[in-house]
Amino acid sequence: MSANEPVSHLSEAELLAMTADLDAMHHDLTLPALRDSLAEWTDDIRSQGDSGHDEADAARQFLFDRRRFLTRAAGTAGGIAGVALLAACSSSSSTATASATATSSAAATATGAAASVDGEGQALSGDLQVVAMAAGLENSGIATYMAAIKAATTGKLGPVPLAVVTFAETALAQHQDHQKAWNAVLTAAGKKPVTAVDPVIQPTINAAMAKVTSVTALANLALLVENTAGETYQNGLSVIKSAAGIKTAASIQPVEFQHAAILSFVLGKYPVPNAFTGVSLARPPSDYKV
Amino acid sequence: MEIDETAFGGLIEESRDTHADALRAARKPLADMVDLGRQDRARGGMDPDQSRAFAVENRRRLGAIARRAGGLLAATGVIAAIADYIGSPAFASSGTDVQVLQTASSIEVLAVSTYKTALGLPYIGGSAANPVIKAFATTTMGQHADHLAAFQSATTSLGGAKQDKPEPAFVPVVGKAVTAITKASGSQGALLVVGLALELENIAAETYVNNMSLLADANAKKVTASIMGVEAQHVAVLLAVQALLKAGASADITLPPPTDKLPAVAGSIGFPNAFYPTSNAAPASQGARS
Repeated sequence: MSANEPVSHLSEAELLAMTADLDAMHHDLTLPALRDSLAEWTDDIRSQGDSGHDEADAARQFLFDRRRFLTRAAGTAGGIAGVALLAACSSSSSTATASATATSSAAATATGAAASVDGEGQALSGDLQVVAMAAGLENSGIATYMAAIKAATTGKLGPVPLAVVTFAETALAQHQDHQKAWNAVLTAAGKKPVTAVDPVIQPTINAAMAKVTSVTALANLALLVENTAGETYQNGLSVIKSAAGIKTAASIQPVEFQHAAILSFVLGKYPVPNAFTGVSLARPPSDYKV
Repeated sequence: MEIDETAFGGLIEESRDTHADALRAARKPLADMVDLGRQDRARGGMDPDQSRAFAVENRRRLGAIARRAGGLLAATGVIAAIADYIGSPAFASSGTDVQVLQTASSIEVLAVSTYKTALGLPYIGGSAANPVIKAFATTTMGQHADHLAAFQSATTSLGGAKQDKPEPAFVPVVGKAVTAITKASGSQGALLVVGLALELENIAAETYVNNMSLLADANAKKVTASIMGVEAQHVAVLLAVQALLKAGASADITLPPPTDKLPAVAGSIGFPNAFYPTSNAAPASQGARS
């Protein structure tokens, strides 16, 4: 048996069927609920008036009503937000391998973002600053997994088990979904999507990635990124004011910790090491520089 | 792949140490909750209007669950019993956060007792059981006991009565499942145990994710947020174990797993959703008491 050949008694078809069932449930139940939460959060942010907007922003925001956020076609910022969100909602774990940066950059261009195409340096505060920080953190996660997949496909890591490749691709797709969800909130509020990486944590990731020469080292780096994301959103749950925003962050935090559990398992570490997850690795909202 | 049980035992020990650190970290928010509870009582207790509104919201959620009519809950016709309970004077007399925390406690009581029962089965807790499954069941039972203590402490800190009874709606469901498990053969029984544990863990995780937007007290949120990701990690591990059991590959349930032998889809089976759902969340006051 070759290293990458599945054991004979495992039924790939059966596992695929199980995955398909779970994916169907995800699309039937989870995503419509998320759409509602994001739309509600957009309304909350507008009513909070905590986005630090000027008159031009206010005029732009006036264009976005809840219905437009969800349904309007591309060509307006509200439409882009809806498209980005719907893209997030429709991208399955197995298919979303395209660059999130490309998607978000397109959104930035369509919204007329001239000064900062990567969404950095906007005058944001309150929930919107948390959202922008979260988008940046997801971009760092996306960049990590894209670099990992590139390293694997170019042979830098030696033989890579198929299950590990699937893990990386699926985690990447889910981080792309998360990034799109966060950015949908920003664009619906008349802000630019954030396509830049987290400026504080990224140098650490880059330095670690440069030294990675094995699947084990890569998994350890990914574990750090996942735990950082999970703890950041856990901390964010104490910072975000809007109930709909809390719903959104709460729906993402457990997923990052699930990624961490599987990575720990693969590394031979106990997969659920703590009865309580902490916040010591959490990135603060100030990681997004206003 | 041979299992290094000494190393595994060391990992569990390491996990317990880390876990103890996490418990210490949880003391601060719980202590803060004591102060807040005292402040609430000093102000004259919970707002009865708020409690009534909460009851109405939970009846709405109950109706939604009945419409979904899926899983164990619907299969046993417990909806009417839950409705009666929510309509009881005990329900309306408690503050919203207290009710939420009591329900969480009742879920944890049920989880602890279910794992305890499972560990009494020879193929889960016996000497011939898979050591990874046995260690997972043992450690997870301990983590749920810690969650129970945290939720109970949070409840009494807010002036509520400690809930030490199991979730009333799920008790007959679990009892029926356990009866079936005890009549099953070893391999079939293990699969049924994992299925039951998976359902309970998922209900816990979804309930706590849902509770995040219902809780008003900042420290009740912190405690819940520190637990929901752990339940989601239990789900991830159980999904992976379930897939291997269904495929007849129980010998591959090792720490670390033989990743080079696993099929590609095994890499993503543990985290099927990019956003954690709440469609199976228990109504937040279902386990409340006076």
